[in-house]
Amino acid sequence: MENNFYLAWSPDSKIQEMGSSGGAVTSLLKFALENKMVDAVLAVKKRNNSRFDAVPALITDPDLVHEAAGAMHFAPLNMVKIIKEYLDGAMDMRVAVTCKPCDARAFIELAKRNQVHRENLFLIGLNCSGTFLPTVAEQMIREAYGENPQDLAGEEVDGGKLIITLKDGSTREKDLEELARQGFEMRENCLRCSYKIPRMADIACGKWGNKGNAATFIEICSSKGHEFLEAAVQGGALVMETATDEQIEERKRKETEAVENAQAREKKELDELKGYSSQQRLEYWVGHLNRCIKCFGCRDACPICFCKECYLEPYRGCIPGGETPPDIMFQLIRLSHVADSCVNCGQCQDVCPMEIPLTRLYNFLNREVADIFEYEPGVDINQPPPLTTVTDQELFIDPPDIIYEDASAR
Amino acid sequence: MNAIEHIPTVCPCCGCGCGIELVLKNGKIAGVEPLKSHPVCKGKNCLKGKNAYLYANSEERLTTPLIKKNGKHEACSWDEALDLIARRLSEADRDAVGFINSGKCTNEDLYLIQKFARIICKTNNLDNASRFCHSTSVPALLSTVGAGVMPTSTLSIEKADCVLIMGANIQETYPMIANRVLMARTKGAKIITADLRRTPTVKNLTDLHLQIHPGADAALINGMMKIILEQGLADTDFIEKRTSGFDELKSYLDTVDLPEIEKITGIDVERIKEAAVAYANAHNACIMFNAGIAQHAGGVETIQTLADMALLTGNYGKPGTGVNPLRGHSNGEGFGDMGTVPVFYPGFQKVNEETAGRFEFIWGAADLPDKPGLTYMEMVEKCPFLYIMGANPAMSAPDLNELRKAFEKKELVIVQDIFMTETAEMADVVLAGTSGAEKDGTQTGVDRRVQRLRKAMEPVGNSLPDWEILCRLAEKMGAGEHFPFKTSEEIFEEIRKCVPQYRGITYERLEQAGGVQWPCPDEGHPGTETMFVEKFGTPDGLAHFQVAPYKAPLEMPDDSYPYILTTGRVNFHFHTGSMTRRTERLQNEISEAFAEISLEDSENIGIAGGDEIILKSRRGEVRTRARVTADIKAGQVFLPWHFPECLANMLTGPSAGPPSRMPEFKFSAINIEKVEADGK
Repeated sequence: MENNFYLAWSPDSKIQEMGSSGGAVTSLLKFALENKMVDAVLAVKKRNNSRFDAVPALITDPDLVHEAAGAMHFAPLNMVKIIKEYLDGAMDMRVAVTCKPCDARAFIELAKRNQVHRENLFLIGLNCSGTFLPTVAEQMIREAYGENPQDLAGEEVDGGKLIITLKDGSTREKDLEELARQGFEMRENCLRCSYKIPRMADIACGKWGNKGNAATFIEICSSKGHEFLEAAVQGGALVMETATDEQIEERKRKETEAVENAQAREKKELDELKGYSSQQRLEYWVGHLNRCIKCFGCRDACPICFCKECYLEPYRGCIPGGETPPDIMFQLIRLSHVADSCVNCGQCQDVCPMEIPLTRLYNFLNREVADIFEYEPGVDINQPPPLTTVTDQELFIDPPDIIYEDASAR
Repeated sequence: MNAIEHIPTVCPCCGCGCGIELVLKNGKIAGVEPLKSHPVCKGKNCLKGKNAYLYANSEERLTTPLIKKNGKHEACSWDEALDLIARRLSEADRDAVGFINSGKCTNEDLYLIQKFARIICKTNNLDNASRFCHSTSVPALLSTVGAGVMPTSTLSIEKADCVLIMGANIQETYPMIANRVLMARTKGAKIITADLRRTPTVKNLTDLHLQIHPGADAALINGMMKIILEQGLADTDFIEKRTSGFDELKSYLDTVDLPEIEKITGIDVERIKEAAVAYANAHNACIMFNAGIAQHAGGVETIQTLADMALLTGNYGKPGTGVNPLRGHSNGEGFGDMGTVPVFYPGFQKVNEETAGRFEFIWGAADLPDKPGLTYMEMVEKCPFLYIMGANPAMSAPDLNELRKAFEKKELVIVQDIFMTETAEMADVVLAGTSGAEKDGTQTGVDRRVQRLRKAMEPVGNSLPDWEILCRLAEKMGAGEHFPFKTSEEIFEEIRKCVPQYRGITYERLEQAGGVQWPCPDEGHPGTETMFVEKFGTPDGLAHFQVAPYKAPLEMPDDSYPYILTTGRVNFHFHTGSMTRRTERLQNEISEAFAEISLEDSENIGIAGGDEIILKSRRGEVRTRARVTADIKAGQVFLPWHFPECLANMLTGPSAGPPSRMPEFKFSAINIEKVEADGK
């Protein structure tokens, strides 16, 4: 394999049917398990066959991989936490994980901090055009589309539209902007997200560039990606052909369009905040943060947070226990700990019972930090996080001289 | 190889009924995650929910039945414990046994305990914590709108454009209901909160705070109604078509004197006007209330005024309206629905000859009790035998010194629980139950939402689910044929036959996150989000205005006991703390009691924040530390009741008469004494 862009599909017609875009990912996962290239697969499956009730599934039986087949747009699950919290960071097991770009980026950040074993992870990146909260989506299908949510068979985002397919095979489409006006908006972190193709994963899979054919466009992003795909092709589990220039172009065009939209959205929101006077900005954030009921949801859901002995715990003596709202340092400490590495995954805001616009706070600061340190979290595993790493060069910076205007003020 | 499994279930910590996922690692609960697909919680949980059921793994769990011998509890076999109970209970006189149950049990557990009481012990002596929470709400709402339930759906609160919160600190105690109020407010709703304290709810979710004098709420609402009438803001069409008794109410309101109201409530008339106009002008106005209103001797009257005001303005029968009692317990609706109360058989069927006859037919049983049973405290006082399932009266009941004396005189106290609670300590026989993580079942939360609890782990030690214990005991008492159940679903199938509101609900339908809201008359019925859309729950289908003047609290402060004590809850604990105080992260947040005292009082008495103080009432005393705050008015003291080391209910006591018999937890006269440095 000399180039990195392919179209792939499963030779198994059953898998083709169950999966999306030719079932390449499902086939690859099945093959990896069958051939003991991984010990388990962590993917997303539908509970009760509901497209609104996605649940992470750790699969070890190759014959059950199909349960996780198919694309989901209403499943903003926290895949990273499963590995970090419940599977010991994959320190002693090899896991293939299907991940959204934000999941993949968080894995990279955690690997830098030795909280996950990158060598043991096979990251199957899935292109992502954004997700809806399942509760918002369910209401949207009922109210905006006028359909019974249980009749939903599939959905896709394309050309600024959300196209749904019903069980009878018919489709309905609506403009995303129009849906947003009715109160049915994607998660706001997604709208600002410029990572549509997860190139930091081992492979990046999606439908862009498949020209409507039942095939998955795969970009190989690492030697591990090469190795897995090659084995699958040789093992007869995958059919692959090199993507044409035209297909690569189409994919590029769709990505550029999506990224430009996201950047415009990000700029608009951040400019709005930047436009505030410092007094307004203080009122805005204090007003929101005062609603905090100290559920620790943001911390617990954050894929970057990992300390066993967290500063926010009352016994650390920093934030007094038992206060509602907690001291505002609760949020500021967290912010200072993860601002450089926030991957804009939105989990903190999703779990906040008090609807504090946390992703805005973190994203806002992360963009500032990213500029200052020329650091992009979750992209290059060899780039150390700037707020927790001292470079050789930084070690030799002379401390700044402090000159007091009035000597008596000392 | 590690195995990970996600078990969706429902949080046990309040009536909201939020979804949680128990994450099992190799069969053990390794964590709790918010259930993203759940319509009530939307993938969000408070700290209690995020740590729910972790107490199931506590080392303090009861793992085996215990019998008290020579003053000490000794482990025994199930046969030994149940034989003893069976023998003693069969010797008991009719109505000598009292059954106290809990909103922490499943509907299936509760259904069986009432069936046990009625078939085997031939008694309606059944009661639970609803006596202490909503015994005022039920008669008040029955007399006005015909049912004591929450008429709107939690989700619909978002549709309100004015929310009046009475005596509830929802941001700390019902976070996902607070979330809906926040959503409504974001869309422009005006939020009015009547509370004697400046709670987080007041500070962060409220546009207009009415810092009312304790217990004066009926006066406030009568005043508001007078203003609404005077300003011509009543919904005359609604009054004419859907209500009766308006003229009597109007004549009464004519006699109400606003300056007098101002005096009773301590709220400026202009503020009362602002609240009245905002409420009456709203398209959808929603009232929610809880213990701050209900736990008063005059609670019935206050809640009647709330219903009156909602009727006066046509605020019933639409989403996001009505008068909504908030239920503290996760199964706070279910323990009424299942008939575990002295006046109702399952499905709110009034205890009388006809109902008893109907259940004799359904159950194939004879001689069922047809007279109302004793209420909670009457049982504590009068029944020589007590069977307590999941309740902790040794902390939750009023006037605990008296309660302890009463317990000492009992012939037999049986406590079925998962921990050695303060009540279990006093029991002759302790039966080890399982937590909600170890059994299947259903529970019914605040908005009539019936949901499935799912078994995630095997019972700890030799513990057994409550329903299974009752089946085994029934077998030993020769009534096994009435308790042939092998699964909780079999019990639910019988519940559906007896409880008309549940008829269309099946375990299969409850697979879906969010469950089904009753009434649900048949399997094709989607469930009911909004009650009283066309008819009220009264026999004539009309709502009935009630004239309900303000009633003063029972124990007014005097020279010896000059302060008013009000009890309540904090964000990090639930009720008597039997679960939350055994949960590490909640305990880390707050592990001891405190008393909130005003700045003025602290200066007068000469105490500073953190000082040790003694609170004394006519009935007892407790020692705690002062938390000096500007959030409470002079003359008032707030004390949470979660802490066994500082039993708030040592101080409380006076109770209303029938029908509510509500202890006035929110108003006791006390004195404050400073503990001097030498500890005196």
